Amino acid sequence: MRMKRLLAVFGLCLGSVMTPAWAVSGDDGSKVCLECHDDLPDMSKSAHAMATDARTPSCVSCHGPSLAHANKEKGKKQGRPDRVFAGEDALTPTERSAVCLSCHNSGKQLALWAGSQHPTTDIACTSCHKVHTNHDKVLSKATQTEVCFTCHKEQRTQMQRPSRHPIQEAKMSCSSCHNVHGSAGPHLAQRDSTNDTCYTCHAEKRGPFVHQHQPVSDNCANCHNPHGSTIPAMLVARAPILCQGCHTPHGPTVGAVGGQPGVYAPAVPPQLQPAVTANSSGKNVVNLWQARSCTNCHTQVHGSNNPAATNPTPQFMFR
Amino acid sequence: MSRSSHPLAARPTLLVLALLVAYGGARGQGTAPAADSPAADGKAADSKPAPSKPADAKPADDKYSLVEGSVSAGLGLVSGDSAERAQFGQYNGLRNAPNAFGLLDFSYYRRDLHAGTTVNFTGTNLGLQTRELRLGWNRQGDWKVFADYNEQIHYDPYSVNSGSTGLGTTNPNVVVLPGGVGTGDDSELKVKRTAFGLGVWKAITPAISLDLKFNTEDRNGSRAFGNGFTCPSATAPGCPPGAGNRTGSAILFLPEPIDSNTTIVDARINYADAKLNLSAGYYGSFYKNSNNVLQPNVPGSLNNPVGTLLPLTNGLQGILNNPLALPPDNQAQFVDVTGNYLLAEATTMKFKLSYSWLTQNQDFASSGLTGAPAGSSNLDGSMNTGLALVGLTSRPTPQLTLTADASYQSRNDQTPLANYNVEGTNVYTNRSYPLQTIRARLGGGYQFNTDYRGTLDLGYESLDRGTFTPTSAVAGVSALRQTTDETGVRLEVRRRMIEDWSGAITLSSAWRNGSDWLKPNSGTGVTEVSDPNAAFSPSAIFPYTLADRQRDKVKLTVNWQANEALSLQFLAEGGQDKFDSPTSYQEGLEKTKLNNFSIDADYVLSEMWRLNGFISTGQQQLHQTRPAGYILSYKATTTTFGVGFTGKATDKLQVGGNLAYIDDRSAYPQDLAATASPANQALLSATGGLPDVIFRQTMLNLFGTYDIDKQSAVRVNMVYQYNKVQDWGWAYGNTPYAYSDATTLYQQPTQSVGMIGVAYIYKF
Repeated sequence: MRMKRLLAVFGLCLGSVMTPAWAVSGDDGSKVCLECHDDLPDMSKSAHAMATDARTPSCVSCHGPSLAHANKEKGKKQGRPDRVFAGEDALTPTERSAVCLSCHNSGKQLALWAGSQHPTTDIACTSCHKVHTNHDKVLSKATQTEVCFTCHKEQRTQMQRPSRHPIQEAKMSCSSCHNVHGSAGPHLAQRDSTNDTCYTCHAEKRGPFVHQHQPVSDNCANCHNPHGSTIPAMLVARAPILCQGCHTPHGPTVGAVGGQPGVYAPAVPPQLQPAVTANSSGKNVVNLWQARSCTNCHTQVHGSNNPAATNPTPQFMFR
Repeated sequence: MSRSSHPLAARPTLLVLALLVAYGGARGQGTAPAADSPAADGKAADSKPAPSKPADAKPADDKYSLVEGSVSAGLGLVSGDSAERAQFGQYNGLRNAPNAFGLLDFSYYRRDLHAGTTVNFTGTNLGLQTRELRLGWNRQGDWKVFADYNEQIHYDPYSVNSGSTGLGTTNPNVVVLPGGVGTGDDSELKVKRTAFGLGVWKAITPAISLDLKFNTEDRNGSRAFGNGFTCPSATAPGCPPGAGNRTGSAILFLPEPIDSNTTIVDARINYADAKLNLSAGYYGSFYKNSNNVLQPNVPGSLNNPVGTLLPLTNGLQGILNNPLALPPDNQAQFVDVTGNYLLAEATTMKFKLSYSWLTQNQDFASSGLTGAPAGSSNLDGSMNTGLALVGLTSRPTPQLTLTADASYQSRNDQTPLANYNVEGTNVYTNRSYPLQTIRARLGGGYQFNTDYRGTLDLGYESLDRGTFTPTSAVAGVSALRQTTDETGVRLEVRRRMIEDWSGAITLSSAWRNGSDWLKPNSGTGVTEVSDPNAAFSPSAIFPYTLADRQRDKVKLTVNWQANEALSLQFLAEGGQDKFDSPTSYQEGLEKTKLNNFSIDADYVLSEMWRLNGFISTGQQQLHQTRPAGYILSYKATTTTFGVGFTGKATDKLQVGGNLAYIDDRSAYPQDLAATASPANQALLSATGGLPDVIFRQTMLNLFGTYDIDKQSAVRVNMVYQYNKVQDWGWAYGNTPYAYSDATTLYQQPTQSVGMIGVAYIYKF
């Protein structure tokens, strides 16, 4: 009963905002549509059902007058609506989006849509947004990823890894970092650069610092995968592998960890001594490969604001 | 010690006041006459035909108003303790929650079509540390306001066992565990975020709107951090190495204390007409940290590399007791003008101009940081960035779409130089290079027929890091480069859904190279190298962010509507990055690879029941040549699958569930070269190589909602999660990594958690 009442309200709302196309045709606006289409999902709470907003659309606003569809002649096949958004005779993605953009073209959010990644790969507004509903999935943090993962499978896998952002818990969503409608930043970042996007929540990394770590201030994604990783801190690779993509390693030793034979005493022949002894340097294999690895000592990997010009200076990100 | 002193800090009382004010207003405004209907948020004023009825026409019947909502209250039970919930409770607020906890959510929705207003008020997770409240109130097309309150918590899955006291404060006291590893007190690292936001949108005229947002977030807690030092060092010449009776190096776990606030102000004014969409804005982000330094108190004796407690070598205690700088207060402010303009019926120009000021001038001395060069009381850091972007998109014929974008971004460091750096007798300055980025893209799409469309994109990116500061020096890297240029091409053919299937194949390649390499001088500055083979040693590493690189990718997607009930989606993608050394020998990153395959299925069993599922598998690889005479690889293989269902068992009972599984295995194979040292050959032979790192998670979610009557229901949620974590980062087998004070970090290798929540829902 509630559903029928809501649909009736919706129908009357739509009827109250008939477009000139229908007026010209002399038809009775969207009421005609609802004579048959009374099984549409409830959308009475959506912005498209607010009658007091002068520009609230009707059925014909989006689907066109569709006279051949509405005025079926006896014995003839019913024509399709003028504009169809799904199926074989659907509008092209560009045409579909043009219908939405005829109204939704204000503000920063959509300003850079034209020529951006999604429209150039045939993603239309209706590829992600659902109009005939009260709960458009992409508008909710809890359900948005269901839509994005339709195409972005790699990210779906990455977000199941243990080091990740709180997307499963609906505390963040894809749109927390990406403006899917177009951006001046890389990968549709919300802001003009990857770092400026990250600094929205991680402003402590912004600096500038006395001692900059230049790849860090250039691009957080040089070291982090924000979609998730099995490595703590969402690193793209485990230190020291990651660090040694740029830096010469301390001590020419193969990787090994404490607890493996030959790392601590006893030595395993042909070893002359175990890899770590009482006299080993702090740059030993265990400290290089375990715990925080390189950042065990070079702890200020994001930059240090320590000005000390006395030895040992913090230039190597020690303090 | 840390203290909070943020004038704009989030306080729940502020939120309550705001909500009361807003909500009270909402109740009172329902009878207000409808105003004229100006431009709606996100809607161009003149791009829509006029309605056939006046905008302020009032429906005659009160049934046009609607009030509805729900209150959901209940009890949740969760099994296990903090160790069992290490993975499960990272973000959901249940890591340390009692076994029984409250469930409370509500929603309120009020629509008044007379006034054209709606009120939305929701509260979620109110019984947990992840609670959220949001109030939105608007008159569509005229104004809207919102207030929200948001708590978020993150627990590090590793627990800390330590004898040190004051961990997580600015003055930790390092205490060596007398009983050895594992005999200390357990603690957890967590960061709590508490945010409060306000927003107002107002249509000034049908074409002009104002959008204001404010958000302030407190962060409190601690996260993994520490310090360490090895004697001797070029920067600590007076500190001798360890010996049989002295500890010459130390690694300490000292969590970073967090007590900070970030406040963001975002103000925009928007104009839109049939051709022009223009948005101008200011964005300010202000970070304030109540903690300036971490000042540890380190004893004179610490464990040596094999866990024997010995006095520290001369000077090491003083080095370890040096203050560690914590993130300084900083400010970033942006202004921009962004928009698009319809040049012709099928030609749109988009543009953006922005400029930002980033400053950091925290006083050194009052922060507890001493030893600054004479005349430098603070960094006086200043980084300004400008951006200009312009793009054209045109559809000269119905079949052809052309796109051209270009952007120029220039980051300039205007921070004064001072002699902050000392290495032996060398003294040199700070430095942050300028960065100029040029990006351009030229693309075309052609609709061959109604079914097929092709796209060709050409891309270009140039990064120029400026002339190296001659008073500066490079530490820890072999080579630098001033400019890198990348050119790419991307080709895609797409088939729309006909005869039950659609699909796309995308091929892309990009090539990066750059200017001559720069070799750090022994003192300050760099020297350009024309013959890398002669100039660089065989152990030189050319950073992967600067090296020549070829990147290739391929992606294939197919959507198949097998029948009315079953739809399937296939995806296969792969790619690789190959790095070229400028020398005949190569150290560092050689290549990376990535592939991913997945199948998704959706099956409609009936009007009442629906099934879906997916399986995905992929591998990420990295190959790194190392000076020790071996190649180290990283191969992460990940398989995930999920199945889910939703259905209506009866008119009153709705059920659903899903099972998700992930198996992630990271292998680190090491292949010795002929040049490997005997010690390395022996060590690798002894260990058999680095162990695999494994993460497996199985998660089952089930829910059911039973409608008792029209106004009430009962909802039951059940969750079971099993985790297997095998990571040698902090322990391998029974051997934990032990810090110099015997602190260890630990995560239970298998974790099993069950949770059930039962809530009564009252709807009105």
